[in-house]
Amino acid sequence: MTTQITRVAKRPRKTTSLEILCGLLILAAVFQGLLGELFDTPSLRTGSTVFVAICVQAMPFLVLGVLISGAIAAFVPASALRRLLPRRDSAAVGVASLAGVALPGCECASVPVARRLMQQGVAPAAAVAFLLAAPAVNPVVLVATAVAFPGSPEMVLARFAGSLATALVMGWLWARFGRVDWIVERALRALPVRDGGSKWAAFAETARTDLVSSGGFLVLGGLTAAALNVLVPSSWLVGLGSNLVLGVLVMALLAVILALCSEADAFVVASLSALPLLPRLVFLVVGPVVDVKLIAMQAGTFGRAFALRFAPVTFVVAIVCAVAAGLLVLGGVR
Amino acid sequence: MRRETQNVLLVLLGGALCKLVLSGAHTRYVKPSMGPWLLTAGALIVLLAGIAIVRDIVTSHPVDDGHEHHHDSRSTWLLVLPVLAVFLIAPPALGADSVQRAQPREPVPKANFAPLPPGRVLPMTMSDFVTRSAYDASNSLASRSVRLAGFAVRQGGDTYLARLVITCCAADAMPLKVRLVSPGLRGLRSNDWVEVTGRLVPGSADARTNFSPDLRVGSIHRIGEPSDPYEH
Repeated sequence: MTTQITRVAKRPRKTTSLEILCGLLILAAVFQGLLGELFDTPSLRTGSTVFVAICVQAMPFLVLGVLISGAIAAFVPASALRRLLPRRDSAAVGVASLAGVALPGCECASVPVARRLMQQGVAPAAAVAFLLAAPAVNPVVLVATAVAFPGSPEMVLARFAGSLATALVMGWLWARFGRVDWIVERALRALPVRDGGSKWAAFAETARTDLVSSGGFLVLGGLTAAALNVLVPSSWLVGLGSNLVLGVLVMALLAVILALCSEADAFVVASLSALPLLPRLVFLVVGPVVDVKLIAMQAGTFGRAFALRFAPVTFVVAIVCAVAAGLLVLGGVR
Repeated sequence: MRRETQNVLLVLLGGALCKLVLSGAHTRYVKPSMGPWLLTAGALIVLLAGIAIVRDIVTSHPVDDGHEHHHDSRSTWLLVLPVLAVFLIAPPALGADSVQRAQPREPVPKANFAPLPPGRVLPMTMSDFVTRSAYDASNSLASRSVRLAGFAVRQGGDTYLARLVITCCAADAMPLKVRLVSPGLRGLRSNDWVEVTGRLVPGSADARTNFSPDLRVGSIHRIGEPSDPYEH
Protein backbone atom coordinates (compact mmCIF):
# COMPACT_ATOMS: atom_id res chain seq x y z
CA MET A 1 0.00 0.00 0.00
CA THR A 2 2.66 2.49 1.03
CA THR A 3 4.88 1.62 -1.93
CA GLN A 4 2.02 2.27 -4.28
CA ILE A 5 1.42 5.74 -2.86
CA THR A 6 5.07 6.71 -3.24
CA ARG A 7 5.02 5.49 -6.83
CA VAL A 8 2.06 7.64 -7.69
CA ALA A 9 3.66 10.67 -6.09
CA LYS A 10 6.94 10.10 -7.90
CA ARG A 11 5.44 9.63 -11.35
CA PRO A 12 7.34 12.09 -13.57
CA ARG A 13 5.10 14.99 -14.49
CA LYS A 14 5.14 15.80 -18.21
CA THR A 15 6.18 19.35 -18.98
CA THR A 16 3.31 21.11 -20.72
CA SER A 17 3.69 23.30 -23.77
CA LEU A 18 2.43 26.26 -21.75
CA GLU A 19 5.38 25.90 -19.39
CA ILE A 20 7.77 25.60 -22.32
CA LEU A 21 6.32 28.78 -23.82
CA CYS A 22 6.67 30.68 -20.56
CA GLY A 23 10.25 29.45 -20.15
CA LEU A 24 11.04 30.48 -23.71
CA LEU A 25 9.63 33.96 -23.22
CA ILE A 26 11.48 34.46 -19.93
CA LEU A 27 14.76 33.25 -21.45
CA ALA A 28 14.31 35.55 -24.43
CA ALA A 29 13.55 38.51 -22.17
CA VAL A 30 16.58 37.81 -19.95
CA PHE A 31 18.93 37.47 -22.90
CA GLN A 32 17.38 40.33 -24.85
CA GLY A 33 20.69 42.24 -24.94
CA LEU A 34 22.55 39.24 -26.32
CA LEU A 35 19.77 38.71 -28.89
CA GLY A 36 20.09 42.33 -29.98
CA GLU A 37 23.86 42.00 -30.43
CA LEU A 38 23.37 38.82 -32.42
CA PHE A 39 21.18 40.70 -34.87
CA ASP A 40 23.56 43.61 -35.19
CA THR A 41 25.21 42.50 -38.43
CA PRO A 42 23.82 44.39 -41.44
CA SER A 43 22.56 41.39 -43.41
CA LEU A 44 20.85 39.77 -40.40
CA ARG A 45 19.23 43.09 -39.58
CA THR A 46 17.96 43.43 -43.15
CA GLY A 47 16.77 39.83 -43.07
CA SER A 48 14.88 40.26 -39.79
CA THR A 49 13.22 43.46 -41.02
CA VAL A 50 12.07 41.71 -44.20
CA PHE A 51 10.84 38.75 -42.14
CA VAL A 52 8.73 40.93 -39.83
CA ALA A 53 7.50 42.91 -42.85
CA ILE A 54 6.28 39.78 -44.66
CA CYS A 55 4.53 38.42 -41.55
CA VAL A 56 2.95 41.76 -40.63
CA GLN A 57 1.81 42.45 -44.19
CA ALA A 58 0.22 39.01 -44.54
CA MET A 59 -1.57 38.88 -41.16
CA PRO A 60 -4.65 40.96 -42.09
CA PHE A 61 -5.14 38.80 -45.20
CA LEU A 62 -4.71 35.61 -43.20
CA VAL A 63 -7.28 36.83 -40.66
CA LEU A 64 -9.69 37.65 -43.50
CA GLY A 65 -9.11 34.16 -44.89
CA VAL A 66 -9.78 32.34 -41.63
CA LEU A 67 -12.91 34.43 -40.98
CA ILE A 68 -14.28 33.48 -44.41
CA SER A 69 -13.28 29.88 -43.76
CA GLY A 70 -15.04 29.95 -40.39
CA ALA A 71 -18.13 31.50 -41.94
CA ILE A 72 -18.30 28.81 -44.61
CA ALA A 73 -17.95 26.09 -41.97
CA ALA A 74 -20.59 27.55 -39.68
CA PHE A 75 -23.17 29.15 -41.94
CA VAL A 76 -22.94 27.51 -45.38
CA PRO A 77 -24.22 23.94 -45.24
CA ALA A 78 -22.49 21.48 -47.54
CA SER A 79 -25.77 20.96 -49.41
CA ALA A 80 -25.92 24.65 -50.37
CA LEU A 81 -22.42 24.52 -51.83
CA ARG A 82 -23.30 21.37 -53.76
CA ARG A 83 -26.38 23.09 -55.21
CA LEU A 84 -24.32 26.16 -56.12
CA LEU A 85 -21.64 24.28 -58.02
CA PRO A 86 -22.27 22.26 -61.17
CA ARG A 87 -22.27 18.51 -60.60
CA ARG A 88 -19.67 17.82 -63.28
CA ASP A 89 -16.14 18.42 -62.00
CA SER A 90 -14.96 20.13 -65.17
CA ALA A 91 -17.80 22.65 -65.03
CA ALA A 92 -17.34 23.16 -61.27
CA VAL A 93 -13.70 24.03 -61.92
CA GLY A 94 -14.78 26.85 -64.22
CA VAL A 95 -17.28 28.27 -61.73
CA ALA A 96 -14.75 28.02 -58.86
CA SER A 97 -12.05 29.80 -60.88
CA LEU A 98 -14.37 32.69 -61.66
CA ALA A 99 -15.49 32.78 -58.02
CA GLY A 100 -11.89 33.67 -57.21
CA VAL A 101 -12.69 37.17 -58.51
CA ALA A 102 -14.71 37.76 -55.37
CA LEU A 103 -11.97 37.24 -52.77
CA PRO A 104 -9.93 40.42 -52.71
CA GLY A 105 -6.98 39.10 -50.78
CA CYS A 106 -3.60 37.60 -51.38
CA GLU A 107 -2.58 33.97 -51.41
CA CYS A 108 -2.46 33.69 -47.61
CA ALA A 109 -6.23 34.14 -47.48
CA SER A 110 -7.08 31.55 -50.09
CA VAL A 111 -5.35 28.53 -48.51
CA PRO A 112 -7.64 28.20 -45.47
CA VAL A 113 -10.70 28.96 -47.61
CA ALA A 114 -9.83 26.30 -50.20
CA ARG A 115 -9.31 23.75 -47.44
CA ARG A 116 -12.66 24.61 -45.89
CA LEU A 117 -14.36 24.21 -49.28
CA MET A 118 -12.90 20.70 -49.63
CA GLN A 119 -13.95 19.81 -46.13
CA GLN A 120 -17.51 20.98 -46.91
CA GLY A 121 -17.67 18.48 -49.74
CA VAL A 122 -16.65 20.63 -52.71
CA ALA A 123 -14.75 18.56 -55.30
CA PRO A 124 -10.99 18.96 -54.68
CA ALA A 125 -10.54 19.91 -58.35
CA ALA A 126 -12.82 22.93 -57.89
CA ALA A 127 -11.23 23.88 -54.58
CA VAL A 128 -7.78 23.72 -56.18
CA ALA A 129 -8.94 25.97 -59.04
CA PHE A 130 -10.28 28.46 -56.50
CA LEU A 131 -7.02 28.30 -54.53
CA LEU A 132 -5.04 29.33 -57.62
CA ALA A 133 -7.49 31.83 -59.08
CA ALA A 134 -8.38 33.85 -55.96
CA PRO A 135 -5.04 35.60 -55.36
CA ALA A 136 -4.43 36.39 -59.02
CA VAL A 137 -7.66 37.48 -60.71
CA ASN A 138 -9.34 39.58 -58.03
CA PRO A 139 -10.09 43.26 -58.73
CA VAL A 140 -7.54 44.64 -56.24
CA VAL A 141 -4.67 42.83 -57.94
CA LEU A 142 -5.87 43.77 -61.43
CA VAL A 143 -6.18 47.45 -60.50
CA ALA A 144 -2.69 47.36 -58.96
CA THR A 145 -1.38 45.89 -62.22
CA ALA A 146 -3.09 48.62 -64.25
CA VAL A 147 -1.54 51.32 -62.03
CA ALA A 148 1.91 49.73 -62.25
CA PHE A 149 1.85 49.51 -66.06
CA PRO A 150 0.29 52.80 -67.15
CA GLY A 151 1.88 52.55 -70.60
CA SER A 152 0.65 49.06 -71.38
CA PRO A 153 -2.92 48.41 -70.15
CA GLU A 154 -2.98 45.14 -72.11
CA MET A 155 -0.85 43.68 -69.28
CA VAL A 156 -4.00 43.58 -67.12
CA LEU A 157 -5.88 41.44 -69.63
CA ALA A 158 -2.80 39.28 -70.22
CA ARG A 159 -2.38 38.70 -66.48
CA PHE A 160 -6.06 37.91 -66.03
CA ALA A 161 -6.03 35.47 -68.95
CA GLY A 162 -2.78 33.77 -67.92
CA SER A 163 -3.81 33.36 -64.28
CA LEU A 164 -7.34 32.18 -65.05
CA ALA A 165 -5.97 29.68 -67.59
CA THR A 166 -3.52 28.37 -64.97
CA ALA A 167 -6.34 27.83 -62.46
CA LEU A 168 -8.58 26.13 -65.06
CA VAL A 169 -5.83 23.85 -66.39
CA MET A 170 -4.74 22.84 -62.88
CA GLY A 171 -8.35 22.19 -61.90
CA TRP A 172 -8.95 20.02 -64.95
CA LEU A 173 -5.64 18.20 -64.47
CA TRP A 174 -6.70 17.44 -60.90
CA ALA A 175 -10.14 16.26 -62.02
CA ARG A 176 -8.45 13.90 -64.51
CA PHE A 177 -5.35 12.68 -62.62
CA GLY A 178 -5.66 13.89 -59.03
CA ARG A 179 -6.12 11.45 -56.16
CA VAL A 180 -7.79 12.30 -52.90
CA ASP A 181 -5.26 10.28 -50.88
CA TRP A 182 -2.55 12.80 -51.79
CA ILE A 183 -4.33 15.17 -49.47
CA VAL A 184 -3.80 14.40 -45.81
CA GLU A 185 -6.87 13.11 -44.08
CA ARG A 186 -6.88 15.90 -41.47
CA ALA A 187 -7.44 18.53 -44.18
CA LEU A 188 -10.69 16.86 -45.22
CA ARG A 189 -11.93 15.94 -41.76
CA ALA A 190 -14.78 18.04 -40.49
CA LEU A 191 -14.09 19.80 -37.22
CA PRO A 192 -15.79 18.16 -34.26
CA VAL A 193 -18.78 20.17 -33.18
CA ARG A 194 -18.29 21.15 -29.53
CA ASP A 195 -21.11 20.82 -27.03
CA GLY A 196 -23.65 21.23 -29.83
CA GLY A 197 -23.05 24.97 -29.39
CA SER A 198 -24.35 27.79 -31.52
CA LYS A 199 -23.27 28.52 -35.08
CA TRP A 200 -21.40 31.58 -33.88
CA ALA A 201 -19.37 29.45 -31.51
CA ALA A 202 -18.53 27.08 -34.38
CA PHE A 203 -17.54 30.10 -36.48
CA ALA A 204 -15.13 31.45 -33.85
CA GLU A 205 -13.68 28.03 -33.11
CA THR A 206 -13.05 27.18 -36.79
CA ALA A 207 -11.46 30.57 -37.44
CA ARG A 208 -9.22 30.16 -34.39
CA THR A 209 -8.10 26.66 -35.33
CA ASP A 210 -7.36 27.70 -38.92
CA LEU A 211 -5.43 30.73 -37.71
CA VAL A 212 -3.26 28.59 -35.46
CA SER A 213 -2.51 26.01 -38.14
CA SER A 214 -2.00 28.38 -41.10
CA GLY A 215 -0.18 31.04 -39.08
CA GLY A 216 2.76 28.78 -38.29
CA PHE A 217 3.30 27.95 -41.94
CA LEU A 218 2.98 31.57 -42.94
CA VAL A 219 5.84 32.32 -40.55
CA LEU A 220 7.88 29.47 -42.04
CA GLY A 221 7.31 30.87 -45.53
CA GLY A 222 8.20 34.36 -44.33
CA LEU A 223 11.48 33.06 -42.90
CA THR A 224 12.38 31.35 -46.17
CA ALA A 225 11.49 34.36 -48.28
CA ALA A 226 13.44 36.73 -46.01
CA ALA A 227 16.53 34.51 -46.16
CA LEU A 228 16.39 34.27 -49.94
CA ASN A 229 15.70 37.98 -50.22
CA VAL A 230 19.04 38.63 -48.52
CA LEU A 231 21.03 35.72 -50.01
CA VAL A 232 20.10 35.77 -53.70
CA PRO A 233 22.37 38.25 -55.48
CA SER A 234 20.51 40.83 -57.50
CA SER A 235 23.15 40.47 -60.21
CA TRP A 236 20.93 37.64 -61.47
CA LEU A 237 18.84 40.23 -63.21
CA VAL A 238 21.65 41.82 -65.18
CA GLY A 239 21.68 41.08 -68.88
CA LEU A 240 18.47 39.07 -68.89
CA GLY A 241 16.92 41.28 -71.52
CA SER A 242 19.00 39.76 -74.28
CA ASN A 243 18.07 36.10 -73.80
CA LEU A 244 14.32 35.55 -73.77
CA VAL A 245 14.20 31.90 -72.66
CA LEU A 246 16.63 32.58 -69.84
CA GLY A 247 14.66 35.72 -68.95
CA VAL A 248 11.40 33.78 -68.67
CA LEU A 249 12.96 31.03 -66.54
CA VAL A 250 14.81 33.36 -64.18
CA MET A 251 11.75 35.59 -63.71
CA ALA A 252 9.64 32.50 -62.95
CA LEU A 253 12.21 31.31 -60.38
CA LEU A 254 12.44 34.77 -58.86
CA ALA A 255 8.66 34.85 -58.46
CA VAL A 256 8.90 31.62 -56.46
CA ILE A 257 11.72 32.68 -54.16
CA LEU A 258 10.80 36.32 -53.58
CA ALA A 259 7.24 35.40 -52.49
CA LEU A 260 5.90 38.91 -52.97
CA CYS A 261 2.30 39.68 -52.14
CA SER A 262 0.19 39.54 -55.30
CA GLU A 263 -0.86 43.13 -54.68
CA ALA A 264 2.74 44.39 -54.78
CA ASP A 265 4.42 42.24 -57.40
CA ALA A 266 3.26 44.34 -60.36
CA PHE A 267 5.07 47.40 -59.01
CA VAL A 268 8.28 45.45 -58.56
CA VAL A 269 8.40 44.04 -62.09
CA ALA A 270 7.21 47.29 -63.62
CA SER A 271 10.51 48.80 -62.52
CA LEU A 272 12.54 46.18 -64.43
CA SER A 273 12.00 48.01 -67.66
CA ALA A 274 15.02 46.53 -69.46
CA LEU A 275 13.14 43.24 -69.66
CA PRO A 276 10.52 42.68 -72.36
CA LEU A 277 6.90 42.44 -71.18
CA LEU A 278 6.69 38.65 -71.59
CA PRO A 279 9.15 37.60 -68.85
CA ARG A 280 7.55 40.17 -66.56
CA LEU A 281 4.11 38.70 -67.29
CA VAL A 282 5.50 35.25 -66.39
CA PHE A 283 6.58 36.68 -63.02
CA LEU A 284 3.07 38.04 -62.39
CA VAL A 285 1.33 34.78 -63.32
CA VAL A 286 3.71 32.43 -61.45
CA GLY A 287 4.06 34.48 -58.23
CA PRO A 288 0.49 34.24 -56.90
CA VAL A 289 0.13 30.50 -57.61
CA VAL A 290 3.48 29.10 -56.46
CA ASP A 291 6.06 30.64 -54.14
CA VAL A 292 8.01 29.54 -51.08
CA LYS A 293 5.49 31.01 -48.65
CA LEU A 294 2.60 29.32 -50.43
CA ILE A 295 4.41 25.97 -50.70
CA ALA A 296 5.00 26.02 -46.94
CA MET A 297 1.34 26.79 -46.28
CA GLN A 298 0.10 24.13 -48.74
CA ALA A 299 2.45 21.49 -47.33
CA GLY A 300 1.18 22.32 -43.86
CA THR A 301 -2.48 22.42 -44.77
CA PHE A 302 -2.84 19.67 -47.36
CA GLY A 303 0.23 17.56 -46.57
CA ARG A 304 3.65 17.06 -48.10
CA ALA A 305 2.50 14.49 -50.64
CA PHE A 306 0.15 17.10 -52.07
CA ALA A 307 2.65 19.97 -52.14
CA LEU A 308 5.41 17.86 -53.71
CA ARG A 309 3.21 17.07 -56.71
CA PHE A 310 1.17 20.24 -56.87
CA ALA A 311 3.85 22.94 -56.72
CA PRO A 312 6.12 21.73 -59.57
CA VAL A 313 3.18 21.04 -61.90
CA THR A 314 1.66 24.43 -61.11
CA PHE A 315 5.03 26.05 -61.83
CA VAL A 316 5.22 24.52 -65.31
CA VAL A 317 1.55 25.10 -66.13
CA ALA A 318 1.77 28.73 -65.01
CA ILE A 319 4.81 29.40 -67.23
CA VAL A 320 3.11 27.82 -70.23
CA CYS A 321 -0.17 29.69 -69.64
CA ALA A 322 1.67 32.99 -69.12
CA VAL A 323 3.66 32.59 -72.32
CA ALA A 324 0.52 31.63 -74.25
CA ALA A 325 -1.41 34.59 -72.82
CA GLY A 326 1.53 36.85 -73.62
CA LEU A 327 1.70 35.73 -77.23
CA LEU A 328 -2.07 36.03 -77.70
CA VAL A 329 -2.87 39.22 -75.76
CA LEU A 330 0.38 41.15 -76.04
CA GLY A 331 0.86 39.91 -79.59
CA GLY A 332 4.44 38.76 -79.06
CA VAL A 333 7.38 39.24 -76.75
CA ARG A 334 7.29 43.09 -76.67
CA MET B 1 0.64 22.09 -28.56
CA ARG B 2 -2.04 22.48 -25.96
CA ARG B 3 -5.11 24.54 -26.62
CA GLU B 4 -4.33 26.97 -23.76
CA THR B 5 -0.82 27.50 -25.12
CA GLN B 6 -2.20 28.23 -28.58
CA ASN B 7 -4.54 30.81 -27.11
CA VAL B 8 -1.77 32.49 -25.13
CA LEU B 9 0.36 32.59 -28.27
CA LEU B 10 -2.50 34.12 -30.26
CA VAL B 11 -3.01 36.81 -27.61
CA LEU B 12 0.71 37.62 -27.83
CA LEU B 13 0.60 37.69 -31.63
CA GLY B 14 -2.46 39.95 -31.79
CA GLY B 15 -0.92 42.11 -29.08
CA ALA B 16 2.29 42.42 -31.09
CA LEU B 17 0.35 43.66 -34.12
CA CYS B 18 -1.56 46.22 -32.03
CA LYS B 19 1.63 47.36 -30.32
CA LEU B 20 3.30 47.95 -33.70
CA VAL B 21 0.49 50.22 -34.85
CA LEU B 22 -0.02 52.06 -31.55
CA SER B 23 3.69 52.84 -31.25
CA GLY B 24 3.83 53.85 -34.91
CA ALA B 25 6.63 51.33 -35.54
CA HIS B 26 4.62 49.59 -38.26
CA THR B 27 5.86 52.14 -40.80
CA ARG B 28 9.25 50.41 -40.64
CA TYR B 29 7.71 47.35 -42.24
CA VAL B 30 4.60 48.33 -44.22
CA LYS B 31 2.80 51.31 -45.73
CA PRO B 32 1.34 53.66 -43.10
CA SER B 33 -2.12 53.13 -44.60
CA MET B 34 -1.97 49.48 -43.50
CA GLY B 35 -2.22 50.69 -39.88
CA PRO B 36 -6.00 50.36 -39.39
CA TRP B 37 -6.02 46.92 -41.04
CA LEU B 38 -3.21 45.70 -38.78
CA LEU B 39 -5.00 47.04 -35.72
CA THR B 40 -8.23 45.31 -36.78
CA ALA B 41 -6.41 42.06 -37.49
CA GLY B 42 -4.58 42.22 -34.14
CA ALA B 43 -7.80 42.91 -32.25
CA LEU B 44 -9.61 40.06 -34.04
CA ILE B 45 -6.80 37.61 -33.23
CA VAL B 46 -6.98 38.57 -29.54
CA LEU B 47 -10.77 38.32 -29.69
CA LEU B 48 -10.74 34.82 -31.24
CA ALA B 49 -8.29 33.64 -28.57
CA GLY B 50 -10.32 35.40 -25.86
CA ILE B 51 -13.56 33.71 -26.93
CA ALA B 52 -11.86 30.32 -26.81
CA ILE B 53 -10.37 31.00 -23.37
CA VAL B 54 -13.69 32.21 -21.93
CA ARG B 55 -15.64 29.29 -23.41
CA ASP B 56 -13.11 26.79 -22.06
CA ILE B 57 -13.46 28.28 -18.59
CA VAL B 58 -17.25 28.55 -18.68
CA THR B 59 -17.87 25.04 -20.02
CA SER B 60 -14.92 23.80 -17.91
CA HIS B 61 -14.38 20.98 -20.37
CA PRO B 62 -11.12 19.10 -20.40
CA VAL B 63 -11.12 20.21 -24.03
CA ASP B 64 -7.85 18.75 -25.20
CA ASP B 65 -7.92 15.76 -22.83
CA GLY B 66 -4.45 16.69 -21.75
CA HIS B 67 -2.39 15.21 -24.55
CA GLU B 68 -0.72 17.18 -27.20
CA HIS B 69 -1.96 15.11 -30.10
CA HIS B 70 -2.30 17.10 -33.32
CA HIS B 71 0.87 16.02 -35.07
CA ASP B 72 0.64 19.07 -37.33
CA SER B 73 0.82 21.42 -34.40
CA ARG B 74 4.61 21.59 -34.17
CA SER B 75 4.60 24.38 -36.78
CA THR B 76 2.45 26.45 -34.43
CA TRP B 77 5.58 27.07 -32.37
CA LEU B 78 6.85 29.20 -35.23
CA LEU B 79 4.32 31.86 -34.24
CA VAL B 80 6.69 32.63 -31.35
CA LEU B 81 9.20 34.06 -33.84
CA PRO B 82 7.30 37.16 -35.02
CA VAL B 83 6.23 37.80 -31.41
CA LEU B 84 9.83 37.71 -30.17
CA ALA B 85 11.01 39.73 -33.18
CA VAL B 86 8.47 42.49 -32.56
CA PHE B 87 8.77 42.68 -28.77
CA LEU B 88 12.48 42.01 -28.25
CA ILE B 89 14.48 42.65 -31.42
CA ALA B 90 12.25 45.28 -33.05
CA PRO B 91 14.18 45.26 -36.34
CA PRO B 92 14.91 48.78 -37.62
CA ALA B 93 13.73 50.16 -40.94
CA LEU B 94 15.78 49.04 -43.94
CA GLY B 95 18.84 51.17 -44.50
CA ALA B 96 22.27 51.32 -46.10
CA ASP B 97 22.65 47.54 -46.33
CA SER B 98 19.62 47.26 -48.64
CA VAL B 99 20.89 50.11 -50.79
CA GLN B 100 24.21 48.34 -51.26
CA ARG B 101 22.47 45.17 -52.45
CA ALA B 102 20.51 47.10 -55.02
CA GLN B 103 20.34 45.99 -58.60
CA PRO B 104 21.26 48.37 -61.40
CA ARG B 105 18.49 50.61 -62.66
CA GLU B 106 17.32 50.35 -66.22
CA PRO B 107 17.19 53.06 -68.85
CA VAL B 108 13.74 54.27 -69.91
CA PRO B 109 12.92 56.80 -72.65
CA LYS B 110 12.91 60.47 -71.63
CA ALA B 111 9.58 62.23 -71.28
CA ASN B 112 8.25 65.67 -70.44
CA PHE B 113 7.37 66.16 -66.78
CA ALA B 114 4.95 68.68 -65.27
CA PRO B 115 6.66 72.01 -64.47
CA LEU B 116 7.91 72.39 -60.88
CA PRO B 117 6.27 74.93 -58.57
CA PRO B 118 8.17 78.20 -58.02
CA GLY B 119 10.16 78.90 -54.86
CA ARG B 120 13.73 79.57 -53.81
CA VAL B 121 14.41 76.14 -52.29
CA LEU B 122 12.12 73.39 -53.44
CA PRO B 123 11.39 70.48 -51.06
CA MET B 124 11.20 67.30 -53.14
CA THR B 125 10.80 63.57 -52.62
CA MET B 126 13.82 61.52 -53.56
CA SER B 127 11.82 59.59 -56.14
CA ASP B 128 10.69 62.76 -57.90
CA PHE B 129 14.23 64.18 -57.89
CA VAL B 130 15.93 61.00 -59.13
CA THR B 131 13.32 60.38 -61.84
CA ARG B 132 13.43 63.93 -63.14
CA SER B 133 17.23 64.07 -63.08
CA ALA B 134 17.47 61.08 -65.40
CA TYR B 135 14.35 61.04 -67.54
CA ASP B 136 13.03 64.61 -67.82
CA ALA B 137 13.38 65.85 -71.38
CA SER B 138 12.31 69.36 -70.32
CA ASN B 139 15.15 69.65 -67.76
CA SER B 140 12.86 71.07 -65.09
CA LEU B 141 15.60 70.67 -62.45
CA ALA B 142 18.13 72.84 -64.27
CA SER B 143 19.44 75.60 -61.95
CA ARG B 144 16.86 74.81 -59.27
CA SER B 145 17.81 74.56 -55.62
CA VAL B 146 16.16 71.55 -53.96
CA ARG B 147 15.85 70.10 -50.47
CA LEU B 148 15.97 66.32 -49.99
CA ALA B 149 15.74 64.08 -46.92
CA GLY B 150 17.26 60.63 -46.62
CA PHE B 151 19.96 58.59 -44.94
CA ALA B 152 23.66 58.51 -45.76
CA VAL B 153 25.34 55.54 -47.42
CA ARG B 154 29.12 55.34 -47.66
CA GLN B 155 30.13 53.19 -50.56
CA GLY B 156 33.52 52.92 -52.28
CA GLY B 157 34.86 56.29 -51.09
CA ASP B 158 31.69 58.14 -52.11
CA THR B 159 28.86 59.36 -49.92
CA TYR B 160 25.29 58.97 -51.12
CA LEU B 161 21.97 60.23 -49.91
CA ALA B 162 19.52 57.32 -50.14
CA ARG B 163 15.89 56.47 -49.53
CA LEU B 164 13.91 53.28 -50.08
CA VAL B 165 10.58 53.14 -51.88
CA ILE B 166 8.08 50.50 -50.83
CA THR B 167 4.76 49.66 -52.49
CA CYS B 168 3.40 47.02 -50.12
CA CYS B 169 5.93 45.99 -47.50
CA ALA B 170 9.67 46.20 -46.88
CA ALA B 171 10.20 42.99 -48.88
CA ASP B 172 9.62 44.93 -52.11
CA ALA B 173 11.78 47.94 -51.23
CA MET B 174 13.62 49.66 -54.08
CA PRO B 175 16.46 52.07 -53.36
CA LEU B 176 17.06 55.57 -54.71
CA LYS B 177 20.51 57.12 -54.52
CA VAL B 178 21.94 60.58 -55.02
CA ARG B 179 25.73 61.06 -54.88
CA LEU B 180 26.63 64.00 -52.67
CA VAL B 181 29.34 66.33 -53.99
CA SER B 182 30.80 68.34 -51.12
CA PRO B 183 34.13 68.64 -49.30
CA GLY B 184 32.53 68.51 -45.85
CA LEU B 185 31.05 65.01 -45.55
CA ARG B 186 33.72 63.38 -43.38
CA GLY B 187 31.68 63.13 -40.18
CA LEU B 188 28.76 61.41 -41.91
CA ARG B 189 28.27 57.70 -41.26
CA SER B 190 26.04 55.19 -43.04
CA ASN B 191 22.41 55.30 -41.85
CA ASP B 192 22.69 58.87 -40.44
CA TRP B 193 19.52 60.74 -41.42
CA VAL B 194 20.17 64.14 -43.00
CA GLU B 195 18.42 66.93 -44.85
CA VAL B 196 20.41 68.27 -47.80
CA THR B 197 19.96 71.42 -49.85
CA GLY B 198 21.72 71.60 -53.17
CA ARG B 199 21.63 71.63 -56.97
CA LEU B 200 21.67 68.83 -59.52
CA VAL B 201 24.97 68.42 -61.39
CA PRO B 202 23.64 68.59 -64.98
CA GLY B 203 23.98 65.42 -67.02
CA SER B 204 25.20 63.34 -64.06
CA ALA B 205 22.37 60.81 -64.18
CA ASP B 206 23.08 58.50 -67.09
CA ALA B 207 23.89 54.84 -67.75
CA ARG B 208 27.47 55.42 -66.55
CA THR B 209 26.32 56.39 -63.04
CA ASN B 210 23.49 53.85 -63.08
CA PHE B 211 21.00 56.74 -63.40
CA SER B 212 21.71 58.10 -59.94
CA PRO B 213 22.37 61.84 -60.11
CA ASP B 214 25.02 63.95 -58.37
CA LEU B 215 23.96 66.76 -56.05
CA ARG B 216 26.25 69.71 -55.36
CA VAL B 217 25.60 70.25 -51.66
CA GLY B 218 24.83 73.77 -50.44
CA SER B 219 23.95 72.90 -46.85
CA ILE B 220 23.49 69.69 -44.91
CA HIS B 221 22.18 69.00 -41.41
CA ARG B 222 21.23 65.99 -39.37
CA ILE B 223 17.60 65.11 -38.70
CA GLY B 224 15.93 62.30 -36.76
CA GLU B 225 14.52 59.30 -38.57
CA PRO B 226 11.16 60.43 -40.03
CA SER B 227 8.00 58.73 -38.74
CA ASP B 228 7.66 57.16 -42.17
CA PRO B 229 11.18 56.13 -43.21
CA TYR B 230 10.10 55.09 -46.73
CA GLU B 231 8.71 56.81 -49.81
CA HIS B 232 5.75 55.28 -51.62
